[in-house]
Amino acid sequence: MSAVERRALLVMALVVLAIAGALTAEWWLSRSPDRPFGHTQTGHVLGWGGLGLTLLVLAYPFRKRHQPGQRWSKSLFHVHIVGGLAGPLLILLHAGAHLHALIPDLALLTMGLVVLSGIVGQALHALALRSMNEQRRLLIHQGLPEPEVEARLQALAKQEETFRLWQVIHGPLTVTFVALALLHIGGALYYGGV
Amino acid sequence: MALPPPSSLYPTLFAATLVLVVGLGWASARDPESFWAPGDLSIHHAGRMACTQCHEPFRGATTANCLACHAETTFASQPDKPPQAFHRQAARDRTRCLTCHTEHRGATAKITTEPLNPHGEFIFRVTGTQSCQDCHVGGKRQGPKYGLLDNDAVRGLVAKGKGAHGPGRFADCFRCHAGGRVGSERGS
Repeated sequence: MSAVERRALLVMALVVLAIAGALTAEWWLSRSPDRPFGHTQTGHVLGWGGLGLTLLVLAYPFRKRHQPGQRWSKSLFHVHIVGGLAGPLLILLHAGAHLHALIPDLALLTMGLVVLSGIVGQALHALALRSMNEQRRLLIHQGLPEPEVEARLQALAKQEETFRLWQVIHGPLTVTFVALALLHIGGALYYGGV
Repeated sequence: MALPPPSSLYPTLFAATLVLVVGLGWASARDPESFWAPGDLSIHHAGRMACTQCHEPFRGATTANCLACHAETTFASQPDKPPQAFHRQAARDRTRCLTCHTEHRGATAKITTEPLNPHGEFIFRVTGTQSCQDCHVGGKRQGPKYGLLDNDAVRGLVAKGKGAHGPGRFADCFRCHAGGRVGSERGS
């Protein structure tokens, strides 16, 4: 088994464990017959906390779009990754496996798809970065000046179709999730009270 | 190095999201319960109520909306439906209905919260009692027998159970009386 395959297997196992852990914790917390955990005050706070963490991830793509000339921000990227996993985990703890109303069900489904596509994107990003660094070493070895190296790598990056295709999936799914999450919150406040 | 997304992405995204939101809004107006309700209504309210008959916008289910149906005149016209005395006192004390009652937990679920009345509404129907105080001291848990009075109602219920209605086995009626019938379905 190659290092990449081992890492992929480890990531999948961790994802399954995290989901199972969150669902088990929510089931245990919902033992009271009066109401599920998600409908308690603590459950609501977890939902808000999860949403806040999840929205924090938008800082990274926002900076990439509006400050394209800036050097790649590794710290913001890490915030994007950690927030993109921790936020949905908190939301899963809030929601549990209680599936009834269509709006929150759809929001939960799109959230899951965004997280999964994000994990795939992280793998694609790591592979693309490795490829770029190899190209950089090659071009520097050939004696090219730094600005020329950067320009060639930029041109190479624009041709990376796999990553562009992934962007077309991950970005719109995120927007759909945010729209559905806001609908769910609006509906809960409308029918449940502020 | 930022990879620019395809130029058609954002207009397509905006249009798709708009279609989704408008579609969901239209569909949820036709069948709000399927889109927003956290669970099915109990048999007491299912099929009779629209969401807005109980829920006020951004205020939730309000006591005023409950009293629109469960009013003093309703209690007076249905003397066989207990427990009027308890609820009349609760109304005088301005106790919120949601302090003791809940909904959207399924068709056969109890609509009284567990710590307050673990028996559910069933107990009043089978004993003919009007309030918790008809069987319990002060209506509160006091000791292993939960403050049970030694009166006809309690003695009658213990006798009916033929040993099944003992301390620690009394609370959840539906463990044996599934479906809400007076006769026990287990072992028959």
